[in-house]
Parts: sequence; structure tokens; C-alpha cells
Amino acid sequence: MIAPIFQSDNYQLARKLLDAAVLRQDAIASNIANAETPGYRRLDVSADFSTRLKEQLVSGALKRGTADIRPTLAEDATARSVRPDGNTVAIERELMALNRNAVEHEFLTEIVSGNIKQLKLAITGRQF
Amino acid sequence: MNFISGVEVTSSALMAQKMRLDIVAQNIANAQTTRTPEGGPYQRKVVNFETELLQKSGGAALSAVRVGGITNDTSEGQKVFNPQHPDAGPDGLVQMPNVNLAFEMVDLITASRAYEANLSVMKSGRHLAQQTLRIGKQ
Repeated sequence: MIAPIFQSDNYQLARKLLDAAVLRQDAIASNIANAETPGYRRLDVSADFSTRLKEQLVSGALKRGTADIRPTLAEDATARSVRPDGNTVAIERELMALNRNAVEHEFLTEIVSGNIKQLKLAITGRQF
Repeated sequence: MNFISGVEVTSSALMAQKMRLDIVAQNIANAQTTRTPEGGPYQRKVVNFETELLQKSGGAALSAVRVGGITNDTSEGQKVFNPQHPDAGPDGLVQMPNVNLAFEMVDLITASRAYEANLSVMKSGRHLAQQTLRIGKQ
């Protein structure tokens, strides 16, 4: 009975997305730190992470635990600079992304936590 | 390993912005200084930042910030007619520092806002770490 919880799609997905959320926090920290560095191009989690994650989810590799996928950082090619120094960071957008990422992280930790609590409950039973 | 993600980058930016605040303070403090060890009036200092590549954490490297250098603004300051001044020339004009208080105030606000933005990243990172440590707790 232990296997199904740790091999469920939700649990595995939440784990991978949690990795991505932590990496995105790194990227946002770097973007805000370099908000005034001339020529700096903003970083984000690479866009192919979500498509590859979906592929592995559909193929069932995620469930079997054979998935080999890690989020990576890449320069955000879609960001356009509106400043003469060529920097593509907009501080308002970064702060929004920061807050969004924090909420996402909270949600994902809740899922992972919930799965573990469920398993704990199954082992110990309800305590009266 | 780091519990708080992005902490090196953020702390480097905090230090860089703090240095900028120090330099603004120095410029404002010396806005009327007409005599310096190098001779001549005080020259406004300008801070410039540069990136410092940090460890590869998957894909692109993170870039921390550091102060690249502090340079003198060599533009000429105002000349003020004040014959009583000890540093006045034979024509009664005093060469004042090239500090523009309006520029300095703008720099001051920008630096303190940037400092605040970095602090909020730090707070959020700490919050994330605390949540991660609470996984599986009741």
C-alpha cells in the first residue's frame, strides 16, 4: 500500500514542480538583484520543462519513477527591453512573479504534506 | 547547500545598493566642500555595478552583483560669486563642487527602493524554506 501514494501522479508532479518553484525563486532573486545592471537579460525556468513534464506524465514514466527530468534556468527570450541599457528586467513584473511563486510553493508543499499525512494516518490509524 | 534559495545573489545586491547609499550620503555631505586633499573642489562620486557569475544551478549561471568601481564625475561645477570666501579666485568666483542635490535625491530613492525589493526577495525565500521544513508535520 505504500507504493501507490509515492507513485501517484499528483505526488510526483508536485515534487517536480516544487523543484521548479525553488529554482524560479533563484531566478527571480537574480533578476531583482540585477535590475540595474546594463545589458542583463532576465532568467526564468526554461520553457521546455513544462512540455517535457507533460510528455513524461502522459507516457507514464513519472508514475514508474523512471522519469529523468530536472528544471533548468535559461534566459527569457520573450522578454523585451524598453530601456536604453538593454536590460530586460521590469521590477514590478518580478515582484508579481515573486509573490505568485510563493503562493505556488505553498500550494505544492501542502500537496506533498497532505500525501505524507495520509500515509501516516494509514499506518497509525486515527488516535482517539 | 542553501536552505534559502537565491540568498547569495540577494545579499550581493543588498551590499551593492548599500554602497550606493553610502556614496550618495558622501556626495550630499560634500555638496559645499571647496577644498579636498587632491586640491580643488569635491568631485561627485558615481558607483557602477557589474555582474559576477555564480555557480551553475542548472542551465544559465546566476549572476550576483558587485560594485565595479567608484569613479569621479569630472564635469565642472558651478562658479559662485563670493569674494569673501577663502577659496575665491582673484575675480571673486568660487568653484563649487559638481554635486546636484536633485540628482542625488533621485539616486537615493532609487537605491533605497532597490534595497527594499531585494529585502522582500529575502523574506519570501525565508518563507519558502520554512514551508519546506514543515512538510509532513501536523
